[in-house]
Parts: sequence; structure tokens; C-alpha cells
Amino acid sequence: MMQIPLTSDIRGTNPGVNRDANTDTIMMHVLEGLVGYREDGTPDLLLADALTVSPDGKRYTFHLREGLVFHNGQPVTSREVVWSWRRYLDPKTNWTCLADFDGTRGAKIESVDAIDPLTVSFTLDRPQPLFLTLMAAISCGGGAVLHPDSVAADGSWREPISTGPYRISSWVRGRYIDMTAFAGYRPLEGEPDGNVRGKTPYERHLRWLIIRDASSRLAALVKGQVDVMPEVPAAEMLQLRRMKDIRIVAAPMLGAYGILVQDRNPLLADLRLREAIAYSIDRRTLARLVTEDTADANPSIVASASPFGVSADTAEALFDPARARALLKAAGYRGQPIVLTTNRRYPAMFNQALLVQAMARQVGLNIKIEVLEWATQMDRWRSGDFQLLSFGFSAKADAAQSYESILGDRDASPGKTWGDPEARRLLAESMMTADMAERRKIFSKLHSEMLHDVPFIGLFSPADTNAIRDGVTGFRSWQFGRARFWGVRRNGTPAS
Amino acid sequence: MIRYAITRLALALPTIVIALFLIFALIRLIPGDPAQLILGETDDPAALARIRAELALDQPLAVQFYHWVTALGQGDFGKSISMESPVLDLLVPAMGVTASLVIPAVVLAAIMAVPLGMFAAWRQNTRTDTVVVALATVSLSIPSFWLGLMMLLLFGVQLDIFPVVGYISLTEDFTQGLHYLVLPVLTLALIEAGVLVRLARASTIEVLQLEYVAHARAKGLSESAVACRHVLPNVIGPTWIMIGLVLGGLLGGAVVIETVFSLPGLGRLMVEAVFARDYPVVQGCMVIVMLCYVGVNLMIELTAPVLCPALRYD
Repeated sequence: MMQIPLTSDIRGTNPGVNRDANTDTIMMHVLEGLVGYREDGTPDLLLADALTVSPDGKRYTFHLREGLVFHNGQPVTSREVVWSWRRYLDPKTNWTCLADFDGTRGAKIESVDAIDPLTVSFTLDRPQPLFLTLMAAISCGGGAVLHPDSVAADGSWREPISTGPYRISSWVRGRYIDMTAFAGYRPLEGEPDGNVRGKTPYERHLRWLIIRDASSRLAALVKGQVDVMPEVPAAEMLQLRRMKDIRIVAAPMLGAYGILVQDRNPLLADLRLREAIAYSIDRRTLARLVTEDTADANPSIVASASPFGVSADTAEALFDPARARALLKAAGYRGQPIVLTTNRRYPAMFNQALLVQAMARQVGLNIKIEVLEWATQMDRWRSGDFQLLSFGFSAKADAAQSYESILGDRDASPGKTWGDPEARRLLAESMMTADMAERRKIFSKLHSEMLHDVPFIGLFSPADTNAIRDGVTGFRSWQFGRARFWGVRRNGTPAS
Repeated sequence: MIRYAITRLALALPTIVIALFLIFALIRLIPGDPAQLILGETDDPAALARIRAELALDQPLAVQFYHWVTALGQGDFGKSISMESPVLDLLVPAMGVTASLVIPAVVLAAIMAVPLGMFAAWRQNTRTDTVVVALATVSLSIPSFWLGLMMLLLFGVQLDIFPVVGYISLTEDFTQGLHYLVLPVLTLALIEAGVLVRLARASTIEVLQLEYVAHARAKGLSESAVACRHVLPNVIGPTWIMIGLVLGGLLGGAVVIETVFSLPGLGRLMVEAVFARDYPVVQGCMVIVMLCYVGVNLMIELTAPVLCPALRYD
């Protein structure tokens, strides 16, 4: 049995309903939808083998792969696809991604219909080039196709009966989650790619042990009680690099870390002050120190690994202490304190805040650090009640989703720090085209606008860093920072 | 004794009522919205309102309090917000884990500490006394997480005698369960022994200075007879009360030890529930902690006079 540590217990097994990062990681092994993500974050067919999009871009018709079965042995047909999606679209399900499909944020799914036993169509009220990207979102359970027996007769959730390479065989709260390889799984052939291809469950049993303490996780790895340690904290990197029988597997993630800037605050309403803060930060040094050399500096909210990301070199040009001092002088800044809010739950957010404070002090900025508990910080973020907020955005498949995190109607969503109408227009435009060149142009413009308005000071894109014991093969980091254990085996595990 | 017990129970009732109100109010005074934590980074006011309604968080606080207390009266602790399961189903196993850690640890600490404290007092101002006091001071000063990690590294990683992480319940597999409990129990016992050694030593010194001890010695009783017959009963009283306080406190969860050794106990459950703003679970944990504390203290108060004749039921 392969054992893997998990930093906390999962919240539930109902796809995209009560979730967090750990829940997503676990459920990704169990659930599968019509589409998934490739290694580079682009969507690809998973349970479907063909897709037709109508010329007006409003009708998506999927043809299902033949011979697929659910964990309970029942065949996968269009009936279950329709049932699953109608359930997601029912507000009673409390699907956290409903707003992406009910017209709140973009297009609305008007109907989901079974054309024949293996064909299903989705009709939208308007074209939505990002439809497949949104469908595959890991935080939404990947739009998993479920068997109706997943819910009880009264509609309450029972267990996930889907088509993934593993199924949950036992979940002892607070202790472990056991998974068993699904004997009837039929992987999409080809080299392992994202959560789409090559998903052979070599290890028959996986046990996810809940170990909250990072030092205990490390001790378990050293002893060999666990085989892999995902999400290695930067503080443990030096030690791990020195160990002989352990290697580090890391890849840049599609997330972004930085500082949210609240320009509705009287002091920070002065653009010169916001610019001064941005120019005072040496992002390259900061990224190196905070991530122990595993991540790149990144001045954008779009991750460097994204096709729409900006080069790490551009961060260099944005470090200009002399200009920062001049801006402060022009703004008549006299050392008024500026509060930078952070938390200790996520060490990277805390450490970046400390370094920003130190760097800003070099140009004469008086930044005070306020440390809050994570839930309290989330409350402040949602209400917009902060001056500067140290934050990290999780991996987003598309650059538009990254900008959406900070840009929008600030009265309806006070947590957003950017409401510029032109930027909002550009964002809307980016969601209406699938043309890569066109989108690249739009995101480049958005980046320039963001640098100009300074609603967010991008610092770095984090890396998905994992420590692996020798003898474990096939493990790969991923842009989404989710550990995947299909295609992974230990020495001695049979090839099939 | 029965009248005394009834009086103590009657006095505990207002404590419980006040504690229930405080438990309910305090967790809600902390900023942070459980519904927002479920949504995470998703900024969707409609979804937020829907989840808040689903969790009945949109109702007035007085209504929420009324529903909680009436359900509690029927033994219903509610349903967890973050873990979507009945609170009682979470509390019972967690309480079992904590009890299997804390009770042996406190018993072990007492077995080590009382004789050691008495022995040090007997040898007051000698090298033995200095060593015992120093050890007790070290035990009091060492952070429990550090000692736990050192135990893990030494006995788990280096000597490879005990598992580093994980837990097996004693009812599942008694031998394996013990194997997993040795290190955490030993760590907790070492941490708690410090205060008990100091207390036993101080009480013994106090008793040794009393005239009846000098009189017993003058009668020609051996030192062991003096210790067992005249000193020990008078030392046990205050130590017993302290053991009760320690036990009551730890039954509420030995959070640090549970975290370091990955034990799914009550303390860890409560901390995780606080972080998730899982009100029903926090409230359930607090009710259990309060009842444990009141119960253990009541038991200590009732048994102390039996162990130490100097204490009376009045």
C-alpha cells in the first residue's frame, strides 16, 4: 500500500460542494467528467471521445466513449450525464461553481439533453469560449459524471460513484482515507497527460494519512512510513535537498502570490503612493527567499507558466527604489503608517509580507504588519476592509479567471481591488474569443493597465514542490499543484 | 457525603448554564464566516447567501441559540458545517482517542512524580534534591511540541522502535494500538510530571516540618514507616487535587501532542473546527470539555477527603 500524507482531512465527497484543496486532490482520483485538463492546463476530452460545437458557439455536443462503467459496474450513458449536470445546476445542490454556468458570470446553460444513449448536448444562451475550461475545473469536481445512486432517495449525498481510476474504500475521519484501484477502469491511452491520459492505477491501494504537522510529515518521509510528501514547505527544502534517498520534484504552478492594494483607502487613493510601494520591491530576491529558489518572480496576477503569463525578467525592471523615493516625495508622504495584513496559516503569505515591509522601509515607507487568523483575513478580504493584504491566489486554468479574482464590480464584491471600466471591458472581451493571438494581446493590455493602476502587486508564481522517496517512479508535479497517484508505482509494483 | 455531593452538583448547574451561553457567544465573536470558508476564493454573493441560509446562519443569534440549546437538551449536538456529519459522530471517537492518551499519561506522570517528589524532599538540599528539582524544572520548561518531535526522531526515526505517525484504536487492535500510543503517552507524562514533582516535593517538605512527624521519628519509627503512614496521606491530598486539575484540562484535548503525533483527538478536532468556523463542532467540543472539567473536579472533591483525612466534607 502506498502511503501519502495529507495536511488536513477532506471536507466531504460531494463534488464541488464543500471543498478545499485537499478535498480536490482526493476527489480528482475518484471523479471524471466529460473533459479534463492536459498537462499545460488546456481542456481535453476525457469521458467523451468527440465534441462538436455549433457554428454559433452555443451548442456543445459530446459523444461518450463506449464501454465505460461506473464504480458500481453500471454503464455510463448520456442519461447519467444529464442527471449529473441537472443536479449541479439545481441551486439546492449548493455547487460552488453554479455561477459559472447559470448566467451570473458569463453564459447560462439553458438545457442539457440526451440525444441518444451515448450523445449529450449542452445548449448555452450565448457563446462561451471558456466553456470547456470551466467544465474541467478541479475545484468544481471537474463536472464529474455521477451515477444517480450517489445520492439517497431523499436527495441527500451518499458517496461518489463515478468513473475515476480509484474509489474511496474507507474514510476514517481525522485519520486516513483509503483508496482502491478501480478494476473496471479504462484509461485513455497515451503518455500521462494532466488528468486526462495515461491514468493507470498501478498501486492497488493508496492510503492518505492525515498529518497536520510539517515536521511529523517530514519524519514520516525520512522513516519511509510515507512514500511521497506533497506540498513541501519552503522551510524544509534545505534539509530535504541534503537527504540521499529523497528527491525533489517541482514545477511552476498556475497560482500567483502578491499584495492586494485597497485604493478606496484615503492614503492609498494616491496613485503615486501605490506605485512607490510597487517600485520598492525586489521581486527576484523576494521570490528566492520565500520559496527557497523553487519559484520565479512574477509581477502579474497571471502565472508565469500560463501561455498568457509575462516573463520573469520583466520583474527586474519594476524594481526602482530611486523612482519609489521620488514618487513618495511628490506625494508628500510623511511616514503615515500603512497596514499590511497577513496570516500565519500560509507561511509564504507571512514571509512575503515581512520582506515587502523590509524592502519598502528602504525607500522610506512605513509599513506595519498585522497578523490575523486565516478566516479573519478572508473576512477582511471579502469586505475590502484592508489597506494592503498579503494574498495567494490558487491555480487558475485561464488568465481571465486570474484577472476575475481582482477585477469586477467593486460595489457588489468589495473584495475586488480593481474596477476600471476599460479593464473590465478587456476582461469581458477576453472571455468572448478563443483566438490565442487575440487573447495574448488583450492580456498584455490588461497587464499594462494593472501595472498602471496598481490594484495588485504581483510578486511570484509558486511552485508545486514534492519530496519523493527513491523507488517511487512516475510521479510528476503539475501546474495545478494537485498530487496525482495514477501512473505512479513503487519498486516491485507490477506493471499492470 | 451524599448531601455534600448534591450541593456540589447543584452548584455545578449554574456553571453549566453560564458556560453554555459563553460557548455560544464567544465563537461567534471571532470574525470569519464559515460560508465564505466553504466558498474559498470564489467571490459569489448569491452562493454565499444560499450557503448561509442552508446553514441557518442568516437567522437571529437568539433563535440560533434557542435551537442549539433545545436540541442539546435532546442529546442532539447538531451537524458539522465543514465535515457534513453529525457532531456526536465526530465527538465520540475523538473523545476516545483523547482519553486513551490522557488518562494513561496522567497516571504515569503521577506514578513517576509523587515518589520522586517525596524522595527529593526527604533529601532536601542534597545533590539528589538538586537533580530532581532541575529535572522537574526542565520538564516544566520544555515545549511539548519540541519534546514530541525529539521523541519521534529518536525512537521513531533513529532507533526505529515506534511508528512516527498514525493511530490505531485500542478497540481495533489492542497491541498495535498500544504501540502507537507509547510515544505520545510518554511525552505527555514527562511534560505533566514536572508540576506534580514540584508539588509533591513542596507538600512533603511542609509535612516533614510538622511536629507529629518529629514525634513519630522520636518514637523510633523507621523512615519508611514515617513516610508511608504519616507523610504520604497528607501529601496525597493536594497532589490529588492537582492531578484532577491536570486531568480535567487535558481531557479537553492535548492539542499539541495530538498534532505532533497525528492523533485524531478532541483537541485537534476543536482547533480544526475553530479554524473552519465550524460552530456546531466547536460548541460540541466545548460542552464536552466543560462537562469533563466539572465531572472530574466533582470526583476529585468527593474523593479527596477519603484519601486525605485532613480534608473534610464541609
